[in-house]
Amino acid sequence: MSFLLQTALLSRRRLLETLRQPIWVFMGLSVPLLYLALFAPLLTSLAGGPGFPRGGVLDVFVPGILALMAFGAGMGAGWIVIAELDTGVIERLRVTPASRLALVLGTVVRDVITFAVPAVIVVCVALPFGFHAHWAGVALLVVLMALLTAACSAGSAALGITLKQIGSLAAVITGLQLPLTLLSGVLLPLSLGPGWLQGLGHANPMYYAVEAARQLAAGRLATGTVALGFGVTAAAALLAIWWSTRAYRRAMA
Amino acid sequence: MTGGAAVRTTHRTESEGDAAVRVTGLRKSFPGKGGRVEALRGVDLRVAAGRIYGFLGPNGAGKTTTLRILTTLLSADSGEALVAGVDVRRHPAAVRRRIGYVSQLGGADREATGRENLLLQGRLYGMSSTDTKRRGGELIELLDLGGFSHRIVRSYSGGQRRRLEVALGIMHRPEVLFLDEPTLGLDPQNRAHLWEQLRGLRDAGTTILLTTHYLDEADQLSERVAIIDNGQVVAEGTPEELKQRYPAEVIITPRPGAGELGSLIANLERDPLVAAAHLEGTTIRVTVPDPTAGLAAVFDRLRAGGVGVQRVSLQEPSLDDVFLHETGRSLRDAGGPSAVEAA
Repeated sequence: MSFLLQTALLSRRRLLETLRQPIWVFMGLSVPLLYLALFAPLLTSLAGGPGFPRGGVLDVFVPGILALMAFGAGMGAGWIVIAELDTGVIERLRVTPASRLALVLGTVVRDVITFAVPAVIVVCVALPFGFHAHWAGVALLVVLMALLTAACSAGSAALGITLKQIGSLAAVITGLQLPLTLLSGVLLPLSLGPGWLQGLGHANPMYYAVEAARQLAAGRLATGTVALGFGVTAAAALLAIWWSTRAYRRAMA
Repeated sequence: MTGGAAVRTTHRTESEGDAAVRVTGLRKSFPGKGGRVEALRGVDLRVAAGRIYGFLGPNGAGKTTTLRILTTLLSADSGEALVAGVDVRRHPAAVRRRIGYVSQLGGADREATGRENLLLQGRLYGMSSTDTKRRGGELIELLDLGGFSHRIVRSYSGGQRRRLEVALGIMHRPEVLFLDEPTLGLDPQNRAHLWEQLRGLRDAGTTILLTTHYLDEADQLSERVAIIDNGQVVAEGTPEELKQRYPAEVIITPRPGAGELGSLIANLERDPLVAAAHLEGTTIRVTVPDPTAGLAAVFDRLRAGGVGVQRVSLQEPSLDDVFLHETGRSLRDAGGPSAVEAA
């Protein structure tokens, strides 16, 4: 009970922090909308071709953009954690009896919400431009991407506590960002590429989430790909949360 | 992990009496460049309940490491630490409920208001919503935060933030409060103000252990002082006791043309109550182990020698002298990481 209360209080604190920086809310929404407006039109000539089975390019493109949003919403956590190491906030919280898991989940819950709200807006905006939403599929898709956000958020926070320096964190995360997103086929499905590229994709946990997301968007809910996507992403989220909790337990400025 | 229910009845050891903090043989080393660096080499401490205890030493002496062990942030390599009668290693959760800690960095949430900081802190300690609000209001009054508690902490001055951070540390009415360099960077007025608040807390029954490298802070605020250097406590006692271990100095300025001072100094040096005497420019400095008897002896010698006096003053030892005697260095010079490495 007190664990849930602590998680709720710490999430609320984080959300207040986000609401006080409306520029981030705006940026979180502008990136996917710019992709939809300025990149998606490039794909229209591919409609009906390989990788775009149902003809509507947005049905393939929107799930990938949602995955990018999930990645972006989660990966910011490390920066905040480092600022809080430097100002002693983490030490103060560690001296309270608050659950270490609640300390981690406070940020994770906020990041999931800052992913989910703009995600729903993006889905709604995409509808008139030819995104055929299968509603149950879209609902599950948002849940899957929320798990991806949680994995990124907890992982980024753990990295921040471990590396302690903004510079090192930025190097590691930007170093991870391109291979993780490119090798999951967020912009174009990897099935368009040669076998070796798809092979590399299988080594990337995010690949399974994006593959499952495309099937969910197409309304194919009960497939092995979907199950695998949920399984891999949930495992990644649990692992990252465990790692982050362990890092909070030992954190030292 | 330490389960709350199992801990609650067993953690207090009756034999501890009124010691709020008891530390024996605490050791801690960290990995460093040329092998492990020993931060603590067997620290012993005993802090009586309801007192202000000063932990004095240069940067890198081991003050913060000791505090971090006592506040459950760090685990010791060996040794025992009891806080409010509870073993820090075995029952960290029970210790956390009983202590408050204000670190050197402070730890106030910069992006929240002072009031939000206080309310969250109370709730994290398990206080009810009503109790948290009442206590928050009380502390806003006590630490004079009213003028800015509704503002975002980022906009506070150093002194305002310090006061908020102290309020955060005592929000849940801890039995023992740990303060790491509480007045670092504060102007004299804010320091005096904070000292006053800390005395008030002590009077209300809180035990306070604070680290400082300001001598006057240790001297005026603390009832007992431990001097730590190179990871060991090198001296411990009330500031008065510590100072009495070292001789005072009588400084004499003779009247101009007072005549031959050489024989006076020779006579002073022969006196059993005088440890040393020498001429420094136009003043004579006489070292006397016992200030009262020594001063009388000096006057006797002056009268016997017929030396007229313009001015006589007694300079009692300061904690800096104590530090100098115990460590061979002046506290002011002994900063920095060299203090750890020099062994």
